[in-house]
Amino acid sequence: MGIRFVLMVNKQGQTRLAQYYEYLTLEERRALEGEIVRKCLARSDYQCSFVEHRKYKIVYRRYASLFFLVGVDNEENELAILEFIHLLVETMDRHFGNVCELDIMFHLEKVHFMLEEMVVNGCIVETNKANILAPIQLMDKSS
Amino acid sequence: MEQLKTLGRELAMGSHGQSKEFLDLIKSIGEARSKAEEDRIVLREIETLKRRINDADTPKRKMKEYIIRLLYVEMLGHDASFGYIHAVKMTHDDALLLKRTGYLAVTLFLSDDHDLIILIVNTIQKDLASDNYLVVCAALNAVCRLINEETIPAVLPRVVDLLNHSKDAVRKKAVMALHRFYQKSPSSVSHLLTNFRKRLCDNDPGVMGASLCPLFNLVSDDANSYKDLVVSFVNILKQVAEHRLPKTYDYHQMPAPFIQVKMLKILALLGSGDKQASGHMYTVLGDIIRKSDSMTNIGNAVLYECICCVASIYPNSNLLDSAADVIAKFLKSDSHNLKYMGIDALGRLIKLSPHIAEQHQLAVIDCLEVKGVPHKDEFIVF
Repeated sequence: MGIRFVLMVNKQGQTRLAQYYEYLTLEERRALEGEIVRKCLARSDYQCSFVEHRKYKIVYRRYASLFFLVGVDNEENELAILEFIHLLVETMDRHFGNVCELDIMFHLEKVHFMLEEMVVNGCIVETNKANILAPIQLMDKSS
Repeated sequence: MEQLKTLGRELAMGSHGQSKEFLDLIKSIGEARSKAEEDRIVLREIETLKRRINDADTPKRKMKEYIIRLLYVEMLGHDASFGYIHAVKMTHDDALLLKRTGYLAVTLFLSDDHDLIILIVNTIQKDLASDNYLVVCAALNAVCRLINEETIPAVLPRVVDLLNHSKDAVRKKAVMALHRFYQKSPSSVSHLLTNFRKRLCDNDPGVMGASLCPLFNLVSDDANSYKDLVVSFVNILKQVAEHRLPKTYDYHQMPAPFIQVKMLKILALLGSGDKQASGHMYTVLGDIIRKSDSMTNIGNAVLYECICCVASIYPNSNLLDSAADVIAKFLKSDSHNLKYMGIDALGRLIKLSPHIAEQHQLAVIDCLEVKGVPHKDEFIVF
């Protein structure tokens, strides 16, 4: 399966983006997000970026006020996923120019469109920033 | 400075056609000091949307905004099912941005067995046949989220045609749609598996890279049927590692590293217990270990995957020595992430070369002092 979910959550535990690659009900999502955010917020800078959770792992990375959390199966290459998170941030940077939490909040659907290009069926499918952003740029032009 | 930036952004937001009401909603969510306050804001928002969303005179742009606000409602943990039908209706729109927003909302709101899905299948079929390739792509995105075993027959023939579409983006997404069908119902595509082999040889690196996803599943399920592809995989990996793809596929100076990782995983499966298959791989694996940049995370990610491959296939003593050297560097690193990866890799290598454990005893003991490191119990045995 690979990637189970991608979350962006701020320091206060408020979800700014949630994409699940296997269906979970609202209650299940609430519970899951609460649990893993607590876990990751409790970790110190002296611990590594990979946390075991239930039967899978969470790879997390913090950028200013925002945590990026990716849930992955145990067979995934954690370091590669850590860099995938960075690639996602670089891609958003390229589109928004120095992306911040507010950009994501005001343009939630745009960030989802980017993620839709990058991850499909729980697999990383596109990592070329030009290819990721082209459909969004074309859509902006025509609307 | 931070406030100036915020003000500047707020002024800019208005020019994107977002209403003051939307901006105020986002601001109040952002400034909420407690979950209780956030809940109050969302409940008020639900009341507003319930009153307005069924108004047939709502302009389309406004409806798009309402649907995004519904996404927020659910993202913050509250039910927005009263609005689902409007997301479904928006997928019918001809304007690309509205259509895509409708599809996005539906994929976030609904499971693939929801009652409303049947209303969307027709729209997906129509969009898969569109002259506008961006509309086709939007429909293929939806296929990968919403089509399940029951609805596969409704879209399968069209998706197979799209595997030969002139646009790379379409072929890439058609491959992933077929992958989805394989995941949901392998028998539905058992006669179509050669398409994945064909797309592996696609001219476009993105399409080739996409084909690795289903091929990984296929090789996991039945490695023997794909041994004939070992030479192809090795050749493609060699070309990628030698920087023969366009520079736009580079990430931090590494050539298509995520593609390299996928290929290494596939080769690990194909070479396992197979001396002949493994023999084809030794050269390219050695080259990658030598050339990968050990100063960057992504370089180390590829190195780690290489070691996993070396540990999985028929043993080669030179490669095992190189792998041990890489592991030693990981274990001595200041980075906890590299130590973590090093310990994992060491665990895999020890099964083949137990003497490695003695060489690295001290480094391993150092690592075990660090919190959050896995496999502690396995190493205490030494």
